[in-house]
Amino acid sequence: MGEFVLRNVTLDIDQGEYLVIVGPTGAGKTILLETIAGIYPPDSGSIILEGRDITGLPPRERNICVVYQDYMLFPHLTVEGNIGFGLISRQMPQDEIRKRVVEAAALLSIDHLLHRYPDTLSGGEQQRTAIARAIVMEPALLLLDEPLSALDGQTREMLIKELRRLHKLYKITVVHVTHNFEEVFALADRVAVMNDGDIVQCGHPDEVFRKPNCAFIANFTGVENIFTGTCSQQVGASAINVDGLTIISSTCKGEGEICATVRPEDILISREQIQSSARNSFKGTITDIVNNGMVIKVTVDAGIPFVSVITRQGYEHLHLNEGEEVYLTFKASAVHVF
Amino acid sequence: MEQHAKRVAKSHKNTGMKDLRNSWLKYATIAVGILLALFIVILLALIVTKPTPEGLFASIMSEEIHFAIILSLLTSLVSTFLCILIGVPAAYALARYLFKGKNVVNALLDMPLALPPLVAGLGLLLFFGTTNIGRGLAEIGLTFVFTPLGIIAAQFFVNIPFMLRIMRSTFESINPRYEYVAKTLGCSDAQALWRVTLPMSAPGFFAGSVITWAKGIGEFGAALLLAGAIKWKTETLPIALFLNMSCGNLNMAISAATILIIISVVALYIFERYGGASRF
Repeated sequence: MGEFVLRNVTLDIDQGEYLVIVGPTGAGKTILLETIAGIYPPDSGSIILEGRDITGLPPRERNICVVYQDYMLFPHLTVEGNIGFGLISRQMPQDEIRKRVVEAAALLSIDHLLHRYPDTLSGGEQQRTAIARAIVMEPALLLLDEPLSALDGQTREMLIKELRRLHKLYKITVVHVTHNFEEVFALADRVAVMNDGDIVQCGHPDEVFRKPNCAFIANFTGVENIFTGTCSQQVGASAINVDGLTIISSTCKGEGEICATVRPEDILISREQIQSSARNSFKGTITDIVNNGMVIKVTVDAGIPFVSVITRQGYEHLHLNEGEEVYLTFKASAVHVF
Repeated sequence: MEQHAKRVAKSHKNTGMKDLRNSWLKYATIAVGILLALFIVILLALIVTKPTPEGLFASIMSEEIHFAIILSLLTSLVSTFLCILIGVPAAYALARYLFKGKNVVNALLDMPLALPPLVAGLGLLLFFGTTNIGRGLAEIGLTFVFTPLGIIAAQFFVNIPFMLRIMRSTFESINPRYEYVAKTLGCSDAQALWRVTLPMSAPGFFAGSVITWAKGIGEFGAALLLAGAIKWKTETLPIALFLNMSCGNLNMAISAATILIIISVVALYIFERYGGASRF
């Protein structure tokens, strides 16, 4: 390794919380998890678990379990041997181990597979086994490293439900690393965004995705409309001058050079100008229409390009074509400034 | 224009098919491979069929050959055990840890592979015969020069790279995350190695042991220099082959050779069967 560097990572995770960490490949997510688990000693800083400083403790004394994307089931052991592996380390009596293994397997609906070897299982079954192997230890913290990335869509959805149920049932504290946003919204109590070895934002999923606080997150979370301009204060709001176009925002703090974003679904497209309370209304020409199946992405040039997303129904109703003139409308509160 | 293009495409297709079916390179290389295999079979067959079956059987049942078989088995088993004892930990370190001078150590450990066994034997002879360490060992009863102990030392030194290389590539092929998981499940470093990595490397371990053992049985050059070719003392199968050949005792020589051939075939089979990913 050696190439990956984590710096300034500060994370507070509440007891029983489900924290999801997102970030692009190479952001240092896995290294962060493995450092928490005790595989790599940090150069500086400390790791506190339930009030105890565990920075110098070997992994086996931390009571933190890891589930990896590619399962890492021990191929020379059966499903039962895998799930019971940690309990054997704890030198629990054999009948007690057997009881708990069966319990955990039943919870994940793999109790009929106990005698099988991992290489005879499907991906979903393997990941269930890996999860059972971890939760049977009743860990103080469960680390999931892209646990669903190797699975097909249907299996993934099943396991998302499964994880949510397990989390509710056991009240385990979970840190779940992913680059899939479905998993964020389905599972996260809180989401942390990582880039380049750093946590760049942390908060409730809605908050992070509505009000991204830097250009990186905006890009990463799929915010299409990012503008740079100069901000000036007005009564009750502020005006942002972007290449001669004035956008009204209710969130602008202070004056000067700023970045502003508007999420595509917040921009309304219409044939006629709409009389409404929305403060921003522009006339523009459609330059591009992209059909994404569920939604249609329409790019409108109103001096600067705006991207708007409309539903298929809305699209068919409006009969939009490239080169036509339309009106764009969005609220001042939809303009997020950072 | 379009028609022309079609015609070109068609003619291309035809010559293409012809090339595919009649590649001279394919036939030439296959022929080389088959000829070489034939040559090997002929050599082996020549050895085994040279004496009469009765003569061969009598030689194999002779006391001298029995002595050689037993000495070969004993020395090779002990030297294989030593190769495991030293080779497995060293291979693990080379596969798992980063340390200063790792590349140099890696290269040096492979050195005996490239070294002619006679040269290795000369070095061993000087080490055990002329240094204080060698003399000290002799004083406490461990005499290596011209003794069966010397055979073990020679086999060990020449064959340790085989064990090392096979185990190194075996360990390297096992994702260290298996050990990480084991450690979070309550294992110490050593327990993770014992309960996860070693069982997972069983096929490589088996293949490495077999190849090391088979090479040990056939070891001649280094053993000749360090342990000598002494009848009824350091006479392993290859030495028996050499001694009997030198004094024209063809039947005895060939019976030793036949046993060596059988051992090689069995070892090769086991290695191919279980070596799998750990070929090197």
